Amino acid sequence: MTSATETVPAPGRGSLLGARVREAGWGYLFVLLPMVVFGLFFIYPLGYGIYISFFEWGILGKAPGANASTANYHDLWNDQVFHRALRNTFEYAILVVPLEMALGLLLALVINARIRGRAYFRSAFYVPSIVSSVAITTIAIFILNPDGLLNKIIGSDQAWFGDASTALYSVVGLNAWTTAGTVMLFYLAALQSIPTDVYEAAAVDGTSRLRTFWRITFPLLKPAHFFVLVVFGIGALKVFDQFYIVSNGTGGPEYSTLSAVFYIYQEAFKSANFGVGAAAGVVLFVAIFLLTLIQRATVGRAEIG
Amino acid sequence: MGRARAAVAATVVLALLTVVVASAANARSERTTATTVTLSGWSAGKTEDDLLQQIVNDFNTTHPNIHVDYSVINGDYATAMTARFAAHNPPDVFYVDSSIAPTWIKQGVVQPLNSFIKKSKYDTTKFYPGLLNAFKVGKTYYGFPKDWSPLAVEINKAMFAKAGIKKAPRTWAELTADAQKLASSNAVPGGKPLCLPTDWARMLAFVFQNKGSLANVQSPAVAAAVNYYVSFFKKGLAATPTQLGVGWPGEALGKEKAAIIFEGNWLLPYMKSTFPQVGFGVGPMVKGKVNGNLGFTVSYSMAKDAKNKQAAWTVLSWLTGKAGMSKWMSLGLALPSRSDVKAVGGRAPFLAAGPFSKGWGFPNFSATLTIMNNDLQAVIDGNKTTADMLSDVNASLKG
Repeated sequence: MTSATETVPAPGRGSLLGARVREAGWGYLFVLLPMVVFGLFFIYPLGYGIYISFFEWGILGKAPGANASTANYHDLWNDQVFHRALRNTFEYAILVVPLEMALGLLLALVINARIRGRAYFRSAFYVPSIVSSVAITTIAIFILNPDGLLNKIIGSDQAWFGDASTALYSVVGLNAWTTAGTVMLFYLAALQSIPTDVYEAAAVDGTSRLRTFWRITFPLLKPAHFFVLVVFGIGALKVFDQFYIVSNGTGGPEYSTLSAVFYIYQEAFKSANFGVGAAAGVVLFVAIFLLTLIQRATVGRAEIG
Repeated sequence: MGRARAAVAATVVLALLTVVVASAANARSERTTATTVTLSGWSAGKTEDDLLQQIVNDFNTTHPNIHVDYSVINGDYATAMTARFAAHNPPDVFYVDSSIAPTWIKQGVVQPLNSFIKKSKYDTTKFYPGLLNAFKVGKTYYGFPKDWSPLAVEINKAMFAKAGIKKAPRTWAELTADAQKLASSNAVPGGKPLCLPTDWARMLAFVFQNKGSLANVQSPAVAAAVNYYVSFFKKGLAATPTQLGVGWPGEALGKEKAAIIFEGNWLLPYMKSTFPQVGFGVGPMVKGKVNGNLGFTVSYSMAKDAKNKQAAWTVLSWLTGKAGMSKWMSLGLALPSRSDVKAVGGRAPFLAAGPFSKGWGFPNFSATLTIMNNDLQAVIDGNKTTADMLSDVNASLKG
């Protein structure tokens, strides 16, 4: 069944097919400029990055006499530091994303409830997300210092970022808090799009509030869960700045804050091994791509837009 | 009346315009006769930038055929320069830190200087050899150190007095003994006798003092030096800056959380401006089996893509020559890398290290330093053996 607007051709302006082609032409014309920009600054560099990853590549380009080989991938395969960087990155993502989601959902539920001062709480919860991550991390270094505010309160002298056993988890906690505000916005939008009649029906049946949440709200938020999981999961796998700042650019203590992007940055821009850096980038890209496919298959398709 | 005034105004405007245009043309013609050489480095504070601009102005006045155009590169210097090299548009003459020199030389972006040295009979013997070697591969020179600093021993005078110690430690044995005295007399309440960073940029000096080297990093001499450095932690005589809640050892000295640190000339202006009330003394770096120290140094080098290399050489050789370096030393911001240039007063403990200091830098620098320092932390924490660390470092130096 087609709609009326599509089936009625303009009088005297050719066939239905012609109109469709014309319409499609205009459509393509409109997307042309964004696609050129996208191709030039995204697709082309992506392809070129994959190309570079098969060569020994320095500051001035391809090393003289270099042949295409998988040597850079072999190097990565044998590089313990890269393995550690990947492990840290995945450990970080696995911990931080559920935490962000739980915290974001909780905040969204609080805001969505009809309480006094909603506008104030909404801003207060969102503020950490808009403050520069560099500023927040720097302040966190002071707070989590051995003689910082947190230790004064709990009465310990733990160097949270300076101890290999707590550094990664400290960043997880910090980032879950700063990102939760943004996650909250997505959940809030999804919560407000749930029709009220299902809640009314539940109320008529005398369903408890907890049961209503688990049986109605939570399942109906599925598209939001998927969206947040994918978007913030990818974001977590790209973590760099907080790790870089808390370790003062060393990835320490004991490699505990060395992330995959940190490794790529160091190989490419500090050591001028652009080939190895590009190969590590390709590995990270493939990992993110596969994870997204798995998430799509298991959690479901995103239906909010 | 009104018309006359308008005519006068128009004449004045026209005259002014003529003057402006004529002087602009004049300036341009002056420029075209002089070859422009671009000069860049990072900023180490306004005082230093201003001093270099002054020196550049001096050069421009005394060399009418060359015009040096000095500009600071802000942000991450190595990354910014990498982009400039890749675009074949680097400054003609620029700073190279000894740590990144091997990487840039290997990448072929730095101009070898031997032919210029030969042609102009430039005397390289006045430079301290350990510093010059940081910018030399085989017999090829890739730059001349503009200044430098080694490490020295800095002590908190009041804490030393409380522990009954007269002077800064000079040997490994004295260092251990002093640290123990400071601890037993509780001279450093709320801190540790020593603040040692988990950084090979400090520990390597001890390695050199034990006749160790990076060329043979898995030798017993290196292992013994590492164990000596780590022993201060095991005995509870040292803490890292992080453990003391400070950013670097200088801050630990300033906040009186450590009585002994090993830092360079850069500590002096920092203490003067940030912790003027803390009384501290400076002694030469401790000595092990031999004297050994690290030279943190920066060269003036020329880009392979420099547009006018002869003019760039004139600038480079003047800046690193006796006259240029003497001017650069006038404010005492750094130490002279030439033995024929005098430093400002009070730098004797640093200068003593000139003849035996080795430039801080090695192949595959960035990746290796990451491994060195993370492994060192693991050794201090007891999660890795010294032998395993040295094996990792050896592999990375070769990779």
